[in-house]
Amino acid sequence: MIGERGPRDDVVTPLRSLGPEDRALLRRHLRAPILTFLALLGLLAVNVTLGATLPFAHVWVVELLVVTVMVAIILLVSMEVRREPPLVRLFAGLGFFWVAILMGMTLTDYLAR
Amino acid sequence: MSGTSAIDSGIAEREPHIPEPTLDRPADYLHAQSTLRSWFLTTDHKRIAILYLASITAFFIIGAVAAGVVRLALVVPNGAIMTNDTYNKAFTIHGVVMVWFFLIPSIPATFGNFLIPLMIGAKDLAFPKLNLTSWYIFMAGALFTMVSVVLGGVDTGWTFYVPLSTAFSNTWVLPALIGVTIVGFSSILTGLNFVVTIHTMRTPGMTWFRLPIFVWAHYATSLIFLLATPVITTALILLIMERAFHIGVFDPAHGGDPVLFQHLFWFYSHPAVYIMVLPGMGVISEIVPAFAQKKLFGYRFVAYASIGLASVTFFVWGHHMFVNGQSDLASLAFSVLSFAVAVPSAVKVYNWTATIHKGRIRLDTPMLYAMGYIGLFVLGGLTGLYLATLAINQHIHATYFVVAHFHYIMVGGTVLAFLGGLHFWWPKFTGRMYNEAWGRISALFIFIGFNVTFFPQFILGYLGMPRRYATYPPEFQLLNVLSSAGATILAAGYVFPMIYLVYSLWFGKRAPANPWDAKGLEWETTSPPPPHNFLSLPSVPPVPYDYPIQERETRSQHR
Amino acid sequence: MSRGAEAQPAAGVGVARVAHFATVEQQRHAAVLGIWAWLVTELLLFAALFLVALILRVQHPEAVRAAALHLKFWVGAVNTVVLICSSLTMSMAIAFSRMGWQRAMVRAMLATAALGSLFLVLKGYEYYADYEEHMMPFLTVRPYALAETPATRLFVNLYYVATSLHGLHLFTGISILLGMTWMAAKPGFLSRHQNWIEVYGLYWHFIDLIWILAFPILYVVNR
Repeated sequence: MIGERGPRDDVVTPLRSLGPEDRALLRRHLRAPILTFLALLGLLAVNVTLGATLPFAHVWVVELLVVTVMVAIILLVSMEVRREPPLVRLFAGLGFFWVAILMGMTLTDYLAR
Repeated sequence: MSGTSAIDSGIAEREPHIPEPTLDRPADYLHAQSTLRSWFLTTDHKRIAILYLASITAFFIIGAVAAGVVRLALVVPNGAIMTNDTYNKAFTIHGVVMVWFFLIPSIPATFGNFLIPLMIGAKDLAFPKLNLTSWYIFMAGALFTMVSVVLGGVDTGWTFYVPLSTAFSNTWVLPALIGVTIVGFSSILTGLNFVVTIHTMRTPGMTWFRLPIFVWAHYATSLIFLLATPVITTALILLIMERAFHIGVFDPAHGGDPVLFQHLFWFYSHPAVYIMVLPGMGVISEIVPAFAQKKLFGYRFVAYASIGLASVTFFVWGHHMFVNGQSDLASLAFSVLSFAVAVPSAVKVYNWTATIHKGRIRLDTPMLYAMGYIGLFVLGGLTGLYLATLAINQHIHATYFVVAHFHYIMVGGTVLAFLGGLHFWWPKFTGRMYNEAWGRISALFIFIGFNVTFFPQFILGYLGMPRRYATYPPEFQLLNVLSSAGATILAAGYVFPMIYLVYSLWFGKRAPANPWDAKGLEWETTSPPPPHNFLSLPSVPPVPYDYPIQERETRSQHR
Repeated sequence: MSRGAEAQPAAGVGVARVAHFATVEQQRHAAVLGIWAWLVTELLLFAALFLVALILRVQHPEAVRAAALHLKFWVGAVNTVVLICSSLTMSMAIAFSRMGWQRAMVRAMLATAALGSLFLVLKGYEYYADYEEHMMPFLTVRPYALAETPATRLFVNLYYVATSLHGLHLFTGISILLGMTWMAAKPGFLSRHQNWIEVYGLYWHFIDLIWILAFPILYVVNR
């Protein structure tokens, strides 16, 4: 599965054999993904704890808020929407707006029956 | 041709090596290659458009024959001509085939596919292989549904309402549902291709406000494809699961809610009306300025109205459900919002009429269709306002009034625009001119036949004749016979173009690059265009619809 | 695209232009816009299922709660962790592809596919446990544990539709990922198709995002 030696393959193998320049490069590129990873795990831990213990009534409101933050982090950081041109940002937002139309207009029926 | 004249003059006999004949035209997309493989594995958007054109014409014929069966059954009030089962299957085939396999793909998949790259000065759509994939998905889904027709048919109507479709129908609902679900992916991929193409593939200088309205309309349509189609996919998946495994979500026997299916269904299917209508509006916005030789009135308003319609249409789906147990609050909200649809629709109609006003009008075949479109669309649109009114809706819901209303939009609108566009761009598609006299005659046949067929249905509906019934009280017979008689005139109007257009492929006059003196980049290239659309990069005029007569001139003439 | 601002593309990393595009920039832009348009449709596809869950909750709050308490909460939680890990490895694959570290990228992609497969294995175990507990109401031949409250059937069945649809997306994603890894291991891949990794990464993150929505909506908030 592993291919021919690419341009920088010699430096990949053990981490400690990396030169200081490559370490800096690696740190710069992997900082955001690792921070995202930790943040998502932390938020998930909050939600799992809330779901397992059910500390108070209507805890689902807090849980949904936590999920919203998780989704925002994935969109903005992992999927790099914050660095994309406005058009891509618009597309990323458009779907959620249309979900709101679908849910909102349907609920005018179900919540008022 | 230089090649033949050389042979005639006897040079060929003296010269042992006959030189390759020089073509009088560069190889166009139709003649560049001629193997079956070059058609069925093509990635050229123009050839894919022709594949779509051939397939949707076949589906149109199937749907039209089914409509003929329905009209035949309704000639007599007591249902003596065929069994109720046959009648139910006939109107279901008519609805399913016409909506899902003709109207939805009609203009976007054929004209949109062919013309969008030409109009924006691109070599192809952004994803040519995906475009071919869409056609194969379309054919796979459509044939899947056709299998259910061959096996014995479906009797649920094109809407597949629960619980009839899940618990009561003994017909081949499952393959039909699977087929329609598959076809949805074809729509999504076509819409995706158009959106990306219009955003990224415009030639330098082709700004948004230099785009033809046809392209704006297709952009709006593609947004609906993307935003609405996935919801019906989910609704149909749940319906398939309901029918196959009785999951109960839509089944009142288990506490499920049939109205929820209608919400999901109409969240797509109301915007789908604009999938069918918006591209037609785009076609009319091209034909009218060309045959009035006048700049399109209020270009920006027409462009914005396309996007406006595509957005507003997502807020009105509940007007299909006023009598179905939906809450009063929802009915009120959907009713008020439905009236808002009239605004962008009216903007378009006023702009077309204002364009015709004081133009140099030529009543050629495409223009006859366009004028028919405007008149019928007005009637269809205004009767829509009756249906959006809560109180009147109670009286005419699910009657022939609704049938007449949406046929004025779907046939009077989309089909007329389709035929108008087909005649307008036929020289560009095929490089041949059709017989103009026959074109005008059949346009007239269609206009008259259509009105004789469907106007009586407004009256029938208002008098209380419900739709989808195989029998009716004898006092409705006169109007029903009139309607069926109109359908035969309409059918003749459909048969003529199929004959003279096909005839023109072999015997028609060669078409020049721009037979109508029309504006737009598609007329700058040869008819038919070369494989990559333009022999040299076209230059974009600074104003769209730069026709000889401008608004300011007519205003000064008026004073 | 504006990514260049952060890190200049490394040597030997780029995109080969396809004939019908005028520039590479146009081609990259089209690919990113295309995948986002696709993801918008995916979002609405799942949103309709979430809407059904919401309506069930509104109409049958007690039954939905009873059904949700029978779902395997901890398996779902562990699976969420697995997918968050796979998001990290996918992000790493994208980072390595930009740096031109081809072998590291291939390894990160394989790790992503492995984590995705682990998710499916755990999901399979979850279905098996559900089966053992008679929590498959759509099986007519098998008695259903909560038969005394019929409305629970609706939520449990919806859970199967939603999770299997997500599983199908994940399965497709893993298949494409493995096929792409096979191609990406070949020499010169990064100089011709680097943007495939970025475009694919968006799809993978989005499947994770759908699960991150599905887990609380199905398992957590209804408890």
